[in-house]
Amino acid sequence: MKADVRLVGLGKRYGEVGAVEGLSLDVAAGELVSLLGPSGCGKTTTLRLVAGFITPDDGEIWVGDRRLSSRDAVVPPERRRMAMIFQSYALWPHLTVAQNVAYGLRFKSDVPRSDRDRRVAEMLRVVQLAGLEHRYPGELSGGQQQRVAVARALVVEPDILLLDEPLSNLDANLREEMRFEIRRLHEAFGITTLYVTHDQAEAMVISDRVAVLERGRLAQVGRAEDLFRRPRSRFVAEFIGKTNIIDAVATGPDTVARAALRLRVDAKDLTAGAPVLVSVRPHEIELSTGPVPRTPDNAFAGVVRRASYVGTAVDYQVTLAGTDVTLRVTAPVTVRLAAGDTVAVRLDPAACVALPPAP
Amino acid sequence: MRGLDLSLPVWALATLLLLALIGLPIGWLVALSVTGEHGLTLAHYVDAFRSVALRRALWNTVVMAFWVGVLSVAIGAPLAWLTARTDLPGRRLLRALVMASFVTPPFLGAVAWVMLAGPNAGVLNKLWRSLTGREAALLDIFTMPGLIFVVAIYTFPYVYVMIGNTLELVASDLEEAAAVLGAGRLTTARTITLPLVAPAIVSGFIVSVLQALALFGSPAILALPAGFHTLTTQVWGMFQYPPRIETAAAVSLPLLVATALLLMLQRRLLGRRGYAVVGGKGGTRRRLALRAWRYPALLGCFVVMACAVLLPYGVLARTAFSRAWAQPLTWDNLTLRNWTFTFFEYSATRSAIVNTLELGLLTASVGAGLAALLAYVARRRTIVGHQLVGFVALAPIAIPGVVLAVALFIAYTRPPLILYGTLWILFVAYVTKEMPVGYAQCDATFRTIPAELEEAGRILGARPLRVLGEITAPLARSGIIAAWCFIFIGVIRELSASIILFTASTKVMSVVIFDLKEEGQFGAIAVLGLFMIVMTFGVVLLMERVLGRDFLGVRE
Repeated sequence: MKADVRLVGLGKRYGEVGAVEGLSLDVAAGELVSLLGPSGCGKTTTLRLVAGFITPDDGEIWVGDRRLSSRDAVVPPERRRMAMIFQSYALWPHLTVAQNVAYGLRFKSDVPRSDRDRRVAEMLRVVQLAGLEHRYPGELSGGQQQRVAVARALVVEPDILLLDEPLSNLDANLREEMRFEIRRLHEAFGITTLYVTHDQAEAMVISDRVAVLERGRLAQVGRAEDLFRRPRSRFVAEFIGKTNIIDAVATGPDTVARAALRLRVDAKDLTAGAPVLVSVRPHEIELSTGPVPRTPDNAFAGVVRRASYVGTAVDYQVTLAGTDVTLRVTAPVTVRLAAGDTVAVRLDPAACVALPPAP
Repeated sequence: MRGLDLSLPVWALATLLLLALIGLPIGWLVALSVTGEHGLTLAHYVDAFRSVALRRALWNTVVMAFWVGVLSVAIGAPLAWLTARTDLPGRRLLRALVMASFVTPPFLGAVAWVMLAGPNAGVLNKLWRSLTGREAALLDIFTMPGLIFVVAIYTFPYVYVMIGNTLELVASDLEEAAAVLGAGRLTTARTITLPLVAPAIVSGFIVSVLQALALFGSPAILALPAGFHTLTTQVWGMFQYPPRIETAAAVSLPLLVATALLLMLQRRLLGRRGYAVVGGKGGTRRRLALRAWRYPALLGCFVVMACAVLLPYGVLARTAFSRAWAQPLTWDNLTLRNWTFTFFEYSATRSAIVNTLELGLLTASVGAGLAALLAYVARRRTIVGHQLVGFVALAPIAIPGVVLAVALFIAYTRPPLILYGTLWILFVAYVTKEMPVGYAQCDATFRTIPAELEEAGRILGARPLRVLGEITAPLARSGIIAAWCFIFIGVIRELSASIILFTASTKVMSVVIFDLKEEGQFGAIAVLGLFMIVMTFGVVLLMERVLGRDFLGVRE
């Protein structure tokens, strides 16, 4: 049964430290939402609150019309109809692959005993582990262990699936492969899923929506593209992809200034005189040789400070003439400049995102 | 929803049981020591410490414990270093002998040394006389130095284990780093190795002192015939007719406090200098070549082990098959009479063996189970107040056996639970006394089982007790069996609490050996002692198999 998850004003403190504070988030039935943030942002605590391993100090957790957690009452994990894939996989070393996968089926009254073996075999086939039923976890590779963990969680057909950094113990190549694999399984089974990760690329590939957490609070939630193109805070802009931040002051509804530098930005309602941060992605800055064109907005002269060839592109550090602003620019390898070269720099106003100043 | 979740009541019950087990007797001990006929009083303390005999016993105890500590370090530290860090030949055998000394009941060693170095009939003294033709004895074990020696040869393994384990964790890299910087071998040892193991040496000293303080058997066997007392024999004396229970309580309490203080000191030392164990991982340990010193060092080690194990076991074996233990072992002197006497004729033996085995099995099973539950409660924080559980479960380390016995005697000779006179009071004493060992072993086991393995079971639909039974227990099995073995070994050799709590129908093997000593029945002692040692070694072997490691915790 598909179910939606609602976190309402969730809070959890450890001593004086708030691990999670006032977190509200709705996950639609069948949706995959990532909880993304650096270590210590409260994402794993949130997941463990949803699983019922810990009791919230504030707020509530609802699944469909069942209230699972509140300050006063917590439905224990075994009655939540959820499944979880742990960072360590948490496979039981004393049980075989088949026994690991079959474990959860014993607690489902709607699955007759005679049906268990068939379901386990079917699930092992789906995760491409057929033939390894009688191995012990210690005899499998990291990637295979992970597939066992996936099979064990999916075979019980949970209402909600929770994943806690499931890919962080794999090597880089396998990790990339498993991203697509998890997305494929999600599309095949359509289970409402919460996915915890600190890897923004992983979150963007896997999720329908990404919830960025900062120090226990929800910083922003949305589709990957929205977060990347329309971050609402410096934290989100810097955490999702690389960016340049320019500390400036608004001069009009869509213009800002920093000393001699005047920029048109993607905004309509700035208050003149208010401090503004401007975020520009390195790959959205255009470099060209030749004179600075007069007509378009946001075109400046600049000097190349450093050029680093990184294979697929060239990373430049460019100082805008007459300012203290040095920008990081990612340019295609067709543009080749050397340190000391003078260049024309253009910042597309649509790519200049105005952000509130850091508190 | 099939059935109820009974986990919380189980956790709570285990914890309450623990609190009652330790709180009740200690509470009564304190209460009785300050209660007179007319309410609160300190009269018992004044009585106790005004007595010249007791003050002398106190001084004897301090002298003995201090020198036992010194001697244990002097033996244990070099031995640990030689077996852990040098190319000394016969290291495996040496370690096996240290293990043997570790599990040998000290009172048995004391009896054996009476046979070896008693001033008149002692085998070594006889040998000395026949070799030199002199009349005077070479050795007299019934003296303070004799007592210190006999206690130390069974206490030094504590120092050995502590230092051995620390040395295992100090990688040779640390020493080589100093050598690369130009320090010579001696300078390296003095400036790097010694400071790193210093906390282990000091805490080994303290633990040895504590062992000596709490010991009853050896002083009773060696000091009493020599005409002096220690605190434990004094307390025991207060239970002989006419009993002076309140005074015993007043003596016990300061002993308890002193033990607790020493233990706290040890914890502090280890806590602050905890860096000794940092950096053990991955570092390899190279063995120092002893060169010309190889065989002198080996000889030294075997002299120690001969004193602790080979000579005592030898004299016990010889005595077990002799008509007269002090006579030369000739065909005429050879006999199986001691065996038939011990097992079939001496009335107390068979019931004592049955009692000991019953108590051993019961205590080990209940104790290991309870310790496992408690360690689980504390480590998984399943209930409010779980922090207290570990502290209370380890607290009996600080309770000398004699003190525990006094406290239990007071607590269980009155309603609501009158256990005195039954095996149950011994059972309670053993469970309490062995709780720290079982708890520490179980706690170490649960530390290696990640909580995620249990959470994975919960989220898939298993209730807490089911997870405990199907996931945690199979994973913890070998560790809990090891706890069982530790407790069993501890029970069959227990004397200092049993000697106060036994009654005519509830004698155990150690008490019978003590009685036989009073009667001078050395043949029967030897038989019973060997029986006890064989049983102990059987359990040790079982445990080494289950754990797949050395009993002393020192890896090859």
